[in-house]
Amino acid sequence: MSHVGEQVEVGHGGSPGVGRFESVVLPHLSAGFTLAMYLTGNKADAEDAVQEAILRAVRYFSTLRDEDARAWFLTIVRRVCFTAYRTDRPQGTDMMSIDAAGPQLVDHRDQPDVAAERMQVQQRVRAAVDQLPPLLRETVVLRELQSCSYAEVAAVTEVPIGTVMSRLSRARARLAVLLNDVVDFGDVA
Amino acid sequence: MKERLDLGRAMREALPAYEASSSLQAWALEEARKFDLQSLPQPEPLSHPLRSRGWRLSHWPIAASLVIAVAAGWGAGVLWPGSRITSVTNATTSELVDAHVRSLLPGHLVDVESSDRHTVKPWFAGKTDIAPTVIDLSDKGFPLLGGRLDYVNGHTAAVLTYRRRGHTINLFIWRTSPDEPGDGSFAVRGYSLLHWSTAGLGLWAVSDAALSELEAFQRAYMQ
Repeated sequence: MSHVGEQVEVGHGGSPGVGRFESVVLPHLSAGFTLAMYLTGNKADAEDAVQEAILRAVRYFSTLRDEDARAWFLTIVRRVCFTAYRTDRPQGTDMMSIDAAGPQLVDHRDQPDVAAERMQVQQRVRAAVDQLPPLLRETVVLRELQSCSYAEVAAVTEVPIGTVMSRLSRARARLAVLLNDVVDFGDVA
Repeated sequence: MKERLDLGRAMREALPAYEASSSLQAWALEEARKFDLQSLPQPEPLSHPLRSRGWRLSHWPIAASLVIAVAAGWGAGVLWPGSRITSVTNATTSELVDAHVRSLLPGHLVDVESSDRHTVKPWFAGKTDIAPTVIDLSDKGFPLLGGRLDYVNGHTAAVLTYRRRGHTINLFIWRTSPDEPGDGSFAVRGYSLLHWSTAGLGLWAVSDAALSELEAFQRAYMQ
């Protein structure tokens, strides 16, 4: 149950001196940017989308009632991405290039051939995820990369949990075809 | 066959979680603080107790004396030189000119030397509680030289330094306080000062350039 007056009261229960929007929404800025990167496929559009999402978030902040600010903000980011930017990106966009991909998790204690193999696996995983249709890609990115709960994925992508489950299993099935030799898909493959 | 990773682990290793750039973070912080500042509850107006039920007749003398005291104080501020408001202005403008002159001493002008707003703006993050708008105005004749921190009359100020035809313009920015002088222009010891406020921030442009140059600068900066 929520009251109109609640916003104001809750607003000042946070750490002193830090405003509510700053403490509630800003911690999810990078999560929003990550989602925007995977939806728009390039840094410039992702930055624009997050910027627009912040402006919308400010405007609609009073509609945020429950505690899940991350899902709320990601929903806005996603809507901006889907309405304003093309989400089926062409192949070979800069986000998938090696240097744009950020730090690689390579254990330098590994033997050189082991390290090279890990790099190769990582490139294959990126390429496989990149080939997924946008709706499957965002679902799997939210769930596996951003560790969202099923309920959060459902809230962000604005579909019932059942749809999330089926999208996830379709995404996994597609990935399994490409990656079964290097990734353990349990009983799906 | 080697051990295979599960999908979540494989994806987390292969796909980067991106960090929003520092300029995007600084911008978002500025928006957030602007919004949070606006949505703070306004201070209780003096008349508020009148509307509540606990108000009794015996309070009226206090209210009346308050009104008289406020009126007297206001009269003093307007009529008497050396009153509080005037002296705040004097102290501020005088300290601003001092800070400006000090900045012109060798090695004092900027702490971060760059005409790139993406370098200057993030530099302020964490050093002040404001995120000033940083723009290079080269195309309008005011190239950005860099930024620094200063301390002026009790305020930690973010300072942006611009050049105008051989003159240095220091733009001091801090969070406005209630006793801030109103917007306007000032001339102190041969230096020009232009003061304006926007979005909870007070801005002071200080230079030995003519006041008209500062006004042109203000227009360029606020566009």
